[in-house]
Amino acid sequence: MTTLLTINGATRRFGGLTAVDSVSTTVAKGELVGVIGPNGAGKTTLFNLISGFTPLSAGEVHFKGRRIDGQKPFRIARLGIGRTFQNLRIFPNMSVFDNVSVGAAGMLGVNAAGAVFGGKGRSEAISRRAWAALEQVGLQGLAGELAANISYGRRKYLEIARALAMEPELIILDEPAAGLNDTETRELAAFIKRLHGEGMTVLLVEHDMGLVMGICERVVVLATGRKIADAAPEVVRKDPAVLEAYLGVEE
Amino acid sequence: MSDRLRPLLVVAAVLVLVLGVVPAVLGAFDRSYLYQVANLALIFVLLAASMHLVTGVAGLLQLGHAAFYGVGAYTAALLATDAGLSFGWTLPLAGLGAAFVAVLVALPTMRLVSIYFAVATLGIGQMLYLVMLNWVPVTKGPNGILITSGLTLFGYDLSRPASAYFVVAVVTLASLWVIHRLSHSYYGNALRSLREDDQCADAMGLDTVRLKIESFAVSGFFAGIAGALWAHTAGYISPADFSFPQSILILAMVVVGGLGSLPGAVIGALVLILLPEVLRPVGDFRNIIVGGVLFFSILLMPKGIIGEVSALDLVRRQLGGAWRGEGTKAGSEVGWR
Repeated sequence: MTTLLTINGATRRFGGLTAVDSVSTTVAKGELVGVIGPNGAGKTTLFNLISGFTPLSAGEVHFKGRRIDGQKPFRIARLGIGRTFQNLRIFPNMSVFDNVSVGAAGMLGVNAAGAVFGGKGRSEAISRRAWAALEQVGLQGLAGELAANISYGRRKYLEIARALAMEPELIILDEPAAGLNDTETRELAAFIKRLHGEGMTVLLVEHDMGLVMGICERVVVLATGRKIADAAPEVVRKDPAVLEAYLGVEE
Repeated sequence: MSDRLRPLLVVAAVLVLVLGVVPAVLGAFDRSYLYQVANLALIFVLLAASMHLVTGVAGLLQLGHAAFYGVGAYTAALLATDAGLSFGWTLPLAGLGAAFVAVLVALPTMRLVSIYFAVATLGIGQMLYLVMLNWVPVTKGPNGILITSGLTLFGYDLSRPASAYFVVAVVTLASLWVIHRLSHSYYGNALRSLREDDQCADAMGLDTVRLKIESFAVSGFFAGIAGALWAHTAGYISPADFSFPQSILILAMVVVGGLGSLPGAVIGALVLILLPEVLRPVGDFRNIIVGGVLFFSILLMPKGIIGEVSALDLVRRQLGGAWRGEGTKAGSEVGWR
């Protein structure tokens, strides 16, 4: 298995607070890795360090053997990392299809001269990619709807489709189950599993332990910025440090 | 009607209207004042369309647009009077001059967001206006510049009102076509995503800073083109033509027409230029009527006369710019070709 993502001693300090404290781990091609931890454990900060939204205070991040920390988010994205956001960030005043097309356009590139003078081939490629991503999540029937008008659950899939239209090698999902009910969470779990089955490498941050434990091959546990466990779900489940972090110390 | 025929008919209808019907009507009255109104309307259509790109599509609230219009007008006027260049040179140079200034403005301000960016453009607009007003040795200050060389192109004198109208109309239509292509394409989609959530667009692999600067420069370019048209057809320019109220007038056109809608910007400009002219017989009372129309139109149609969603739908259906997924039926066009 080839290593896709390497995080080496990643640290991020905000003033006196160390949100992420020398976390190291790797993600191999084709893996489905979950990151869990209590509130404030540094999960989202870790994701922002990978995708370039937050600069590292110390440490390194490598993707496909290339150092990516310190690069702008759009450059990291173009290397093949697609992501979703914790609080569902779609483009509300654009149609479902236009939302997804932005992911394809970002990767295939758009420019003013091409838009004015022909460039039909490029547009065709963007359209096809966006359509394929919509079909993947089953939203093609809503392609023309305004994104703001579709249901919350479907917007979650829309956000994932937008990242899939980038045809990334690694997809980072930041709390995709937040705000979903049990049935929707189960459907999402099945969808992520299917995506992984099709060969996608997935890094999943989740608050919902059940989702992560149920589908991930490996689980990284963070608590107060530190990595306290990094193993298969059944091992992590019995780890005393993890139990302590989640349930507190027995008096 | 076949799908391929419809866009051609729409384009033909616009051409016939602007280059056939309007000149025929103007010719029937044959008053130079009416030609001047027609030119002014077209110039403001171009100004509103250029602001539509940056404010409506890319979502950058631009409060100094008239200043770029002024940079274009002064570039053209000075090149025509001091350097003796003809319209064939002053027109593109006015556009490039305004685009150049726009890039200079954009570089430091692009990292500002929403209201902060708006205030920065307000400041820049005022600065450029004060330069036009006070740099007397070059701009002649409040006296303005008289352009006596008229409008000559490739050695032909096109200064007569009827021929000048054709020049303004052709330049405006060609510019509108470019802005249409930029707005109604995946490039336009990328600009819209900046307006919606630029951090998110960044995560999709879009170079958001480059796109913002580009849209600002293109918008400045066409404002400069409009400036050259004004300088050569009015024959006289002064700083008052490019003051802050003009920027607000252009903004009002874009908002009343429909923020993010190109047909809306065109209609908004026509309404706000032609309405005061039509109401001329009622005297000073007309300004109150225009204000009332503005107020009630935004109250009753907050999304504008043609909102963005309907505008995109209209362009997709009437101009055949859309794409259709395999196995879907006609009428479910999405995206852009």
